[in-house]
Amino acid sequence: MTGATTLHVRSINHKTAPTAVRERAHLTEVRAAELMDALSAGSTGAGGGRGEPDCVSVIPVSTCNRTEIYLEVRVGADPDAILREALTAIGAEADLFFGEHALRLDNLDAIAHLFRLASGMESLMLGEPQITAQLKDAYRQARAHHEPGPGLLRAFQGAFRAGKRVRTETRISTGAVSVAFAAVELARKFFDRFSRHRAVLVGAGETGALAARHFLQHEIGQLTVVNRSFERAQALAATLREEQLRQLDEPDGDDTRRVDRALRARADRIVARPWEELGAAIAAADVVLTTTGATEPVIMPDMVHEAVRGRHGLPLFMLDIAVPRDVHPEVSKIGNVFVFGLEDLDEIVQGNLAARRNQIPHAERLIGEELDQFRQWLEDIDLRPTVAEFRAYLEDLKDKQVGFVRKKHSDEVADEVDKSLQQFIKKVLGRSMSTLRNSESREERQRHLETLRHLFSTDDRDPD
Amino acid sequence: MSTALTLITILLPLGYAAVWADYLWLFYTDHPWARRTCSRLAGSLVLLHMAAIVVRAVGLKRLPMGTQSEFLAALALALMGTYLVIERRLRAKQTGFLTTGAAALLMLLASLAGPGTANTSPLLQDPGFAGHAVLVLLAYTALSLSFLYAILYLVLARQLMRRQFGLLFRRLPALETLERMSVVAVEMGVPLLFLALALGHLWMYNLADRVDPKMAATLTPWDPKILLSWVIFLAYTAGLVGHRFWGWRGRRMNIMAVAAYIAVVVGMGAIHHFFPTFHKFPTLDAAVTADTLEQSLARHAAAGSPLETREWR
Repeated sequence: MTGATTLHVRSINHKTAPTAVRERAHLTEVRAAELMDALSAGSTGAGGGRGEPDCVSVIPVSTCNRTEIYLEVRVGADPDAILREALTAIGAEADLFFGEHALRLDNLDAIAHLFRLASGMESLMLGEPQITAQLKDAYRQARAHHEPGPGLLRAFQGAFRAGKRVRTETRISTGAVSVAFAAVELARKFFDRFSRHRAVLVGAGETGALAARHFLQHEIGQLTVVNRSFERAQALAATLREEQLRQLDEPDGDDTRRVDRALRARADRIVARPWEELGAAIAAADVVLTTTGATEPVIMPDMVHEAVRGRHGLPLFMLDIAVPRDVHPEVSKIGNVFVFGLEDLDEIVQGNLAARRNQIPHAERLIGEELDQFRQWLEDIDLRPTVAEFRAYLEDLKDKQVGFVRKKHSDEVADEVDKSLQQFIKKVLGRSMSTLRNSESREERQRHLETLRHLFSTDDRDPD
Repeated sequence: MSTALTLITILLPLGYAAVWADYLWLFYTDHPWARRTCSRLAGSLVLLHMAAIVVRAVGLKRLPMGTQSEFLAALALALMGTYLVIERRLRAKQTGFLTTGAAALLMLLASLAGPGTANTSPLLQDPGFAGHAVLVLLAYTALSLSFLYAILYLVLARQLMRRQFGLLFRRLPALETLERMSVVAVEMGVPLLFLALALGHLWMYNLADRVDPKMAATLTPWDPKILLSWVIFLAYTAGLVGHRFWGWRGRRMNIMAVAAYIAVVVGMGAIHHFFPTFHKFPTLDAAVTADTLEQSLARHAAAGSPLETREWR
């Protein structure tokens, strides 16, 4: 690692620590802010005697599966000592971050980890997109609190870019990897516009409610809740209705589809019907979700025969996620009736996970490309001040020349000269940078830098 | 101009192959780049091909469907163009590899067929025939696509019934989408077929004055091919009405679409081979040797008879 700072991460995550440890390591928003304060007011041992703290910047990231602390410290400073001191100061369990459950990575390894994390490669559910939003939140909070150093700033920006590339150029985030989403994915193989279709939920238990929520989230046109206890059906319908109306006031996230607000607001979108009307409810539905606690099948062949009679061949999608089964085995033999169970959803999930795993090499390649860019940036850190000075010198000369031309000629001519000299400066700087980058050794590079400083130093500039 | 046309003739099959490869890549990998580029590439190719055909038509002063190669190329263009309209309407690209593959194959066959002998058939110089032929080509291309989507519907439905969650399950659009694609293709094909038949009738009466009396006597609306075309038109119209107003949906509807198309192909083939019809052209059918409308019109044109326009009777 070159430059005036070094980068580090100390992580406790689902791969290194059990849930109990992760819970102890979790940093609330308040705790994270305290940690940032403690680190910015920390020791100044390596500050070069300038009274600046050793810790240039910190970005804590704490989610349900991980607590990670990204640090940028001055060269020569001990990141572990700095972090331990700060964690102790805020009353956190400092030892957790240095024990057997901690992952400790430095410099490029730390950055590679961050890039992989932003790409969903480190997530419990490979490719899940939530981590990007969580990282962005942590980054925003850190910036609001204290401007991160150049290293962390660049690292996080690179991580977001890497994450975006991996998500858009690979299929690592496609396909349902949870049973609830698999249910929606499976139903989408029948009906592409949910808003035109109706669903019926048989049973008012928690599992059914969860499945129903997913279908409502994907804009199913109407949901009818049927339960042996009509009161429970009504209560669940009312709860789901309230949730939908509450969501009307919430802005949609980046990764959600546009919600048909008028559809959500419709009062009759979620209704309850008594158990006696189960057959009629099925007849009126395209999607049947059933999760009752019954010990015998409740959806019988004659009921379904009756239901499909008026459908003119339109498929009826039935999802039986009850144990034992709610749908009689004979029902699946009825034409245009498709009955699926939990094992089918699991098969879809496994298939999607396998497809995501196949994308790992491609994702790794993209992350490698982004890491190379970051590495290049790191290697050029020591060039920047001198090149910036050189640029300023050239810009200054250019402005003088353009001013001179402007006095003697028209503005148009002066503007053309300005443009032309801009191009000239760009080429000169580009050539200088590539010469410096391609130096055979660090010593030679330093010599070139010294020469450049000596030749174009601001102190030695010709006043004319 | 001829150099440009030669260059386009070489480039077009390669272009069709590239489009097919792009759609195939999309189907197998669902790669975002393929998703972004396939439609644009196909659209550009269609425009290029159309431009080439127009230039060629102007240069030759006839409809460029006079040789086997020209006809196959026109068929490829019709297939690609019709598919793109459906894809654009329903925003479903995952079935493109099939249609673009068929179009690429037709273009390859067109290239292998070679330029053929220069065709000076007066039919090809007749605007009435040109309009009729192009409309027929587009109409039957649309109906062919409807058949293809109906087949895909039945395949996916079968996969779902058997709980096979493989590549087809992951890549094909929803059953509802496939059905709509099939219906949209019919919605395109039916009016095109009607226009083709109407124009054909008008042109037939105009033509009667320009051929030998013996041949003119065969120009009748009761020609078996014309009659079958009207039956096809009515059958598909009934299907559309049933879908729209009587709720014909799902597997049954798609089986009907498949059966209808098979009936079209078998019926047309049977009429072509076993019934007398003036709808036989040596241009496109090497097996045709009898005295044909085309030959009669050529003789009449060579004799320098003045053109007349017969009123509709």
